[in-house]
Amino acid sequence: MATKNYPDPILNEKLRDRYYHRDQSNPEFTKEIEKIAGTMAHMCFQCGTCTAGCPSAPRSSYRIREFMRRAVLGLEDEALTDPDLWFCTTCYSCTDRCPRDLAPTDVIMAMRNLAARRDIVPVNFLKTVQAIYSSGHGVPNNDVNRAAREKLGMTRDPPTTSMYPEYIKGIQKILDHYGLKERADRIIKEREG
Amino acid sequence: MAEAVSPTTSKKPETPRIGVFICHCGTNIAGSIDIDAVKEYAKTLPNVAYVDDYKYQCSMPGQVNIREQIDANKLTGVVVAACTPRLHEPTFRAASKDGGLNPFRFEMANIREQNSWVHMHDREGATEKAKDAVRIAVAKAALLEDLYPKSVPVERAAMVVGAGVAGMQAALDLANAGIKTYLIEKEPSIGGRMSQLDKTFPTLDCSQCILTPKMVDVGRAENIVLMVNSEVEDVEGYIGNFDVTIRRKATGVLSPEEAEAKGIVGGGCTGCGDCGPVCPVTKPNEFEMNMAPRKAIYIYHPQVVPLLYTIDWDSCVKCGLCVEACGEKKAIDLEMQDELVQVKVGTVILATGYEVFPIENKEEWGYKRYDNVITSLEFERLICASGPTGGHLVRPSDGETPMRIGFVLCAGSRDNTGIGKPYCSRFCCMYSLKHAHQIIEKIPGAVPYIFYMDIRSFGKMYEEFYYRIQDEGAKFIRGRVSNIQEDPVTKNVTVYVEDTLLGRPMEIELDMVVLAAAVQPTELTNKTRKLFGVSCSQDGWLLEAHPKLNPCGTTTAGVFLAGACQGPKDIPDSVAQAEGAASAASIPIHKGEVELEPYYAMCIEEKCAGCGMCVNLCPYQALSLVEKDGRTVMQVTEAKCKGCGTCGGFCPGGAIWMNHFATPQIVAQIDAFLLGGEQ
Repeated sequence: MATKNYPDPILNEKLRDRYYHRDQSNPEFTKEIEKIAGTMAHMCFQCGTCTAGCPSAPRSSYRIREFMRRAVLGLEDEALTDPDLWFCTTCYSCTDRCPRDLAPTDVIMAMRNLAARRDIVPVNFLKTVQAIYSSGHGVPNNDVNRAAREKLGMTRDPPTTSMYPEYIKGIQKILDHYGLKERADRIIKEREG
Repeated sequence: MAEAVSPTTSKKPETPRIGVFICHCGTNIAGSIDIDAVKEYAKTLPNVAYVDDYKYQCSMPGQVNIREQIDANKLTGVVVAACTPRLHEPTFRAASKDGGLNPFRFEMANIREQNSWVHMHDREGATEKAKDAVRIAVAKAALLEDLYPKSVPVERAAMVVGAGVAGMQAALDLANAGIKTYLIEKEPSIGGRMSQLDKTFPTLDCSQCILTPKMVDVGRAENIVLMVNSEVEDVEGYIGNFDVTIRRKATGVLSPEEAEAKGIVGGGCTGCGDCGPVCPVTKPNEFEMNMAPRKAIYIYHPQVVPLLYTIDWDSCVKCGLCVEACGEKKAIDLEMQDELVQVKVGTVILATGYEVFPIENKEEWGYKRYDNVITSLEFERLICASGPTGGHLVRPSDGETPMRIGFVLCAGSRDNTGIGKPYCSRFCCMYSLKHAHQIIEKIPGAVPYIFYMDIRSFGKMYEEFYYRIQDEGAKFIRGRVSNIQEDPVTKNVTVYVEDTLLGRPMEIELDMVVLAAAVQPTELTNKTRKLFGVSCSQDGWLLEAHPKLNPCGTTTAGVFLAGACQGPKDIPDSVAQAEGAASAASIPIHKGEVELEPYYAMCIEEKCAGCGMCVNLCPYQALSLVEKDGRTVMQVTEAKCKGCGTCGGFCPGGAIWMNHFATPQIVAQIDAFLLGGEQ
């Protein structure tokens, strides 16, 4: 996608070359997605059922159908560098309803995995890794929750690592095995210094 | 092993001289098989007197060569290694016959469908397999015998099962060709689905108006024996001679003819309608998609053929009020019983039609949960002038006129989830366009929203119809509806869809949604097809003999298909196929006799112990035990025998000879395969 050199960056973006050329497609990308996701992504026929029922679509620019299309065409760079990739809540509504019996959610997860290999992950996702590493929870318990739980007659902490912090070590061992925490730390440091 | 001898007598012993002809089929075979290698190999086989190859063996020069070589080399058998016998066995049999051989001295080796096409990337393996196939065929050809097909007379009558538009058309054509035709219909009236429709696309003529003349014709046709409320109970026999048992369900009402037969002069049902109003039982009318009431004694609608009332035994309380109202006509018999009727026909056409898939199984669209979500057939009744609302389209929830109406296409069609149907139902696009037109025409200011994936307007004048409806103001949104939600207070329904062309999710509140539900074969189709020995495809639609070259035939000789039972079909296609099926079904009847393949079983009486085990095993009731020279032996009714071999394979004494598939012939084939070239 060649760009022309207009002085105005908005104009430059608006007037850039839009043609699709075959070399933008990587057939291996489609195959890899299918291998990781375990679904025949190339069979999508673009009916839009996925986007129509997607809770994220009406409140964001995320279009699951467009990611399916990129999977079909093997548009690897376009898919992996699009920040919308991270707007899926993984609710699986699309997977439930897809008439071709595909699993668009799993395609998104596969794309996220491939993006992560290139260090393309939003910082908030990485901070979640850090939170899990330190507390065993992606969303650790806090005082507001504790008060609410008490009011409902429950223990202040749920019977998880919140109540038994000695088990956090086990979770850390798993994350260390995959080098996930180390990776998150490194990328956050690169981005935020 | 070869001790069994043919019971055919006066056979002069001969040394087999087999000719082998190897076909290239262009590159279909020659592209993956080394023809020269197979040819050289064939020359080394015992009994082979001549070997040749040709680019297209089925072409005229190919056939002529077979004919000439039979004569030149005094051949006693011919092997052609080519495609499947289903395609060219008749061709090469004819060529062998032209050369002066009995056509059953011909044997085919399939080296295309079962070899070159499936082993395209293994030339060496395919060549070896072709050698095996030729060797095996030669072994059998050396033992083949002269056989003579038998002709059996064809009963000069036909049967059509199902009296929708396809069945009616087929029956009318047959009747007009001078053939007595039994038309069997399970419902109380003929007419089928088409009689439920309001208008037909793309011409917009009134469905009833164009159908009722045909219904009347059927009712009046001298050659048509109409049996409504009837189902096929049992089928025996074969092409030319089907013995069909029909169950005529008790309707509780006598026709004028039936009444007269019972000695009630001037009696029987005239359709006067005196009985209905006095009946105390009210039930939903199936014809009106259960949106209008009927009594326990009823007719579907005023134009039914035949015009006879029917009693619904599941709801009748036998109070006898109708009998009283009927009075002197004495048409009502509350004690009537089902009747079994036997008819003999030469050929049969199945036209069992379709029904709507239970779309409530796709829960996301809320059919049967939301009042204002209906199916297209319900819409047809609601918009039809003779329907329950007199043609005033209303919302089921409150009877108000809907102004914004959504049409969900591919509702359950093109669905691979296992809940819906994987195929396209073919006529939903077009009738939904027609529905859009109808609301624009009938309700000023009403807006149809058509949610579609593709508009498949493939027929004559169909694309033009699409153009017209778009011009009339229908809103087309290219996206499949993911889910529908109902407002519990207003009962309005909100459709969630993506306009895939804009890439934008949409939330559209509508007064009513019509689901263009997928179609499937009718409930009875499976039972009926099994009775006639007709196959079906994975999705239940009846299987034609060949999708392109024999779309009306089936693999059972003498049984043909018409209309939607073979696959979703609109009215023009159904009628066209019906006329084709009627033409095909009339051929054996007009010829007067059919030739049966001489593959029947024969009893070697000296060996038969008369145990009778084969008699019970035979699926075609072709065998029986008879007394002969003071012994009990088995006897074959050759016309009934299909040569399946069940008896021959079972017979403990080896007393059954299967023509053309005789034990020595099959053993020779097995030996040829297992022992390789050394026999």
